[in-house]
Amino acid sequence: MPLILHGLTPIHWAVAGASIALITLTLLAVANRRLGVSSGLEDLCSLVIDQPFYRRTAVTSGRPWRLPFLAGLVVGGFLSAALGGGWSPTWALGMLDRAAGLGHGAKLAWMFVGGVFTGFGTRLANGCTSGHGIFGNSNFEIPSLVASCCFMAAGIVTTQVIYRVVF
Amino acid sequence: MTLLYLALGTLFGFVLSRAGAADYDYIQGMFLFERFQLYGILATGVAVTAPGLWLLKKYGRTLTGAPLAIDRKSLNKGTVAGSLLFGIGWSLTGMCPGPILVNIGEGKVYAIAALAGALVGAALFGAAYDALQKPFGLPALKVTARGAAGH
Repeated sequence: MPLILHGLTPIHWAVAGASIALITLTLLAVANRRLGVSSGLEDLCSLVIDQPFYRRTAVTSGRPWRLPFLAGLVVGGFLSAALGGGWSPTWALGMLDRAAGLGHGAKLAWMFVGGVFTGFGTRLANGCTSGHGIFGNSNFEIPSLVASCCFMAAGIVTTQVIYRVVF
Repeated sequence: MTLLYLALGTLFGFVLSRAGAADYDYIQGMFLFERFQLYGILATGVAVTAPGLWLLKKYGRTLTGAPLAIDRKSLNKGTVAGSLLFGIGWSLTGMCPGPILVNIGEGKVYAIAALAGALVGAALFGAAYDALQKPFGLPALKVTARGAAGH
């Protein structure tokens, strides 16, 4: 199945997984940091919100690596598009377009609501697919195994309801 | 070091983009049990990271000689409740936190709304922390702790 992005053929899962592992291990071996993206959301919040929660050492001490890393994610997506057929803004949303045919405003609302779930949920859970799913599970941390089972289960139920019941 | 972090993030973003991990259809395909791709990525990621991590911990130091410091995460009710909420968000947007930024880079306009939502969600959590701490058994805030590692 082609990617939504320029209909590109995705790289093999084993290559992608091994690459992510090498990035994770490099970050730890060189910079003494455990991979984790959702904590970066706090980092971004801490730039503009002055609350004790955002003055935690865990937030402020990670800023020197997290902010450049987050910026890199955007650059990586940009390069992927630019090198894979050219960069241009798009509203394409694959199966959701075929199932619901949402307009621009409805897509923004849909994504905003989903984003609130993700932002609140990952902070309450203290991690997401990277910090729990990749790093925590690789480090045999029970909380990460629990978290992974929960977010996979909730994702499965939600998508099944959306595409097998609603649409 | 800033350039190294930027480079690692860029590589991570590129891989997520080209692997389907930042692709709405591949995320739904995973949750519908129609696509193995994302399960393969997560499984390979853990299968390769785990032995590397074991070796690094055995060595006990980073490449610059500093003692390895890995903050372990705690288990509480928030781990379960938060992850359930996150799963709903992941399904709705087709993006976990990293891919939100990757999708923005790719030029997917709606991903900006997902980021705005995620920041609002994180800010709501920060504002509600005092109220949530006891019922969810969350750790006390450490505003002046050792600065070794984030979580």
